[in-house]
Amino acid sequence: MIRLENIHFQYPKREALFSDLKLHVPRGQWVSIVGPNGSGKSTLVKLVNGLLSPDSGTIHIDGTLLDGESVSDIRRRTGYLFQNPDNQFIATTVRDDIAFGMENRCVPRADMKQRIDAIAEQLGISEWLNRHPASLSGGQKQRVAIAGLLVLNPEIMIWDEATSMLDERSKQDMLLRLRHLHKNQGLTILSVTHDAEEILASDRAVVIRNGVIAADMSPIQLFEDRNLAWECRLQPPFSLALSLELREKGMDIGLHHHEEELMRALWPSLHVNK
Amino acid sequence: MDERMVMGRYVAAQSWVHQLDPRAKLTAMVLFLIAVICADYSLELAVITAFSLVILMTSGIPLRRYGRASKPLWPLMAFMFLFYVLFEHNGDVWLSIGSFTVTSEGVLLGLYAVWRMLLLVCFTSILTFTTTPIELNLGLEAVLKPLKLIGVSPQQWTMMITIALRFIPTIFEEANKILKAQASRGADYEDLKLKEKGKLVVTLLVPVTVGAFRRAEELVMAMESRGYVLDAKRTSLRYLTWQGTDTLFILLFIVLTAGMIIL
Ligand SMILES: Nc1ncnc2c1ncn2[C@@H]1O[C@H](COP(=O)(O)OP(=O)(O)OP(=O)(O)O)[C@@H](O)[C@H]1O
Ligand SMILES: [Mg+2]
Repeated sequence: MIRLENIHFQYPKREALFSDLKLHVPRGQWVSIVGPNGSGKSTLVKLVNGLLSPDSGTIHIDGTLLDGESVSDIRRRTGYLFQNPDNQFIATTVRDDIAFGMENRCVPRADMKQRIDAIAEQLGISEWLNRHPASLSGGQKQRVAIAGLLVLNPEIMIWDEATSMLDERSKQDMLLRLRHLHKNQGLTILSVTHDAEEILASDRAVVIRNGVIAADMSPIQLFEDRNLAWECRLQPPFSLALSLELREKGMDIGLHHHEEELMRALWPSLHVNK
Repeated sequence: MDERMVMGRYVAAQSWVHQLDPRAKLTAMVLFLIAVICADYSLELAVITAFSLVILMTSGIPLRRYGRASKPLWPLMAFMFLFYVLFEHNGDVWLSIGSFTVTSEGVLLGLYAVWRMLLLVCFTSILTFTTTPIELNLGLEAVLKPLKLIGVSPQQWTMMITIALRFIPTIFEEANKILKAQASRGADYEDLKLKEKGKLVVTLLVPVTVGAFRRAEELVMAMESRGYVLDAKRTSLRYLTWQGTDTLFILLFIVLTAGMIIL
C-alpha cells in the first residue's frame, strides 16, 4: 500500500508544484499516471521512491513512513525505471549493469549469474551482455534497464515512460510480462505513460495537471471523456474509438478495446460458427 | 559508437599475459618502476630491456601497437634529452659553442632518461592492453585495500573509476551530437582558422560540462534507486583468481628489482 498525504513539494527557486497532494494506492493495484508534459508525473514517482523528499506531508509504503532511515530498505523492495534510460546505467557492460542491483542486495554470485542468464534469455538480450550500455540504441537500453529491474523481483514497480522507445513487438512483450506479474505475483505497479494500450491494461488512471490530481478514474472512463483524453495527449486505440463513436450515434454495443471483442460484439454470428 | 573508446585501450588476444591476475600485473608494475629507477648502468638497463622485450613479444599484441602508444610522449622525451645535454657539464667536452657545451656525460644521461621513459611507457601499455577495464578496476580495489587502515575507502575509489569509465563514451557522444547540431545549423569546421576553432571548442565545452554535472546528479539518483548505499556491504559478480603463474610472475619481478637495487 502506497499512501501519500498532504504532500507539498517545490523545486528550488520555482513555484510550488504540489500543494496538498493526496494519493492512495492499494497493494497489488496497477495505476497509470497520465498528464501533459511538465505536469509533475516524474516528480510524483520520484517522491514515492524517496529520490526527492516532500517539503511537508508524509509518504507511507506498506505502513512504514518513508524517511532517511527506512528509505534504503524501501528502495530494495521497489524497482524504479527512469524516463531516460541513459541515466539508468552504472556499469561498463550490460552484464555488470544487470548485476548492479543484485550486488547491492547481497545476492550470492552463483545465484546472480544464473538469474542474469535467465532474464537475458527471456528478454532476448543475451547477445548484448558483453557490450557497453552506451553502445546500445534507445529501445535496447530500455530493455536492458527493464531486465536489471525484473531480475530483482520487486514488490512495487515504478515505471517512468519505460517503454516509450520500444518497438511495437517489444512493447507488447513487456506488457504481457507486466500483466503476468501483476496477476500472478500481485505486483503493485505505478506507471507514468502515454501509451493507450498500457493504460487500458491497468486498473486505474490518475490524471495530473499542473501538479494537481485532476481526475482519478478507470482507464475506460478516461477515454470516454474525450476532452480529458485529448488534454492528456491520449489517442484511444482504434476499436475503442469506434465503439465510442458508435455509441454516440446511438448504437451501443459496449466499449471494446480489442479488435477481437469489437468484432464479436458487431457480428456475433461470425464467431458462433467457429 | 567507437568500440575503442568504450573498451579503453584493451586489445583482445589469447596470451599468458592476458590470463594473469590484474593484482599480479599491478604489483609487478610497481616493482618494475623501482627497478627502472634503480638501474643506472647501461648493462642494467639492457637487462631490464631484454626482460621487457620477452614479455612484450609474448603478449600476443603486435609490437607496433606499443610503439604507437609511446608516440604522444616523444616531445617530452626529446625535451628531457635536451635538458641533460644542455645542463650536464661533467665528462669529456664534445662540442662547445659560446656558453653551450655538450659533454659525453650529458648525452649519456639524456639517453638513459629517454630509455627509462620508454621502458615505463611500454610496460604500462602491457598492463592496459592486456587487462579489461573491469579487471583493472577489481585489481585496483584489491591493491588499494590497505588504504582502509588510514581511513580511505577503496570501494569509493573504484566506484569513481567505474563511473568515469561508464561516462567517458557518453560524454564524447554528447560532444559529437552538439557538434553535429551546430554543423546542421551551418557551422563549418573544415574552413575555420585555428583561433576560431579554439573558440568553438569553448562553446562546446560549456554544454558538455553542464551536461556532465546534470548527469552526475541523475547518476546519484540511479545508483540510489537501485539500492546502492555508500560503503554498505555488497556482493560482486566479478572476482579474481590467483594462480601459480601469478606468483611466478611476481617472483620474477622481485628478483629483477632486488638485482637492480643490490648492483
Ligand atoms: N530538477 C528540476 N529543477 C527544477 N524544476 C524542475 C526539475 N525537474 C522538473 N522541474 C519542473 O517541474 C515541473 C514538473 O516536472 P516533471 O518532470 O515532474 O514533469 P512530467 O510530468 O514528468 O513531464 P514529462 O511528461 O515531460 O516527463 C516542470 O515544470 C519542470 O520544469
Ligand atoms: Mg517525466
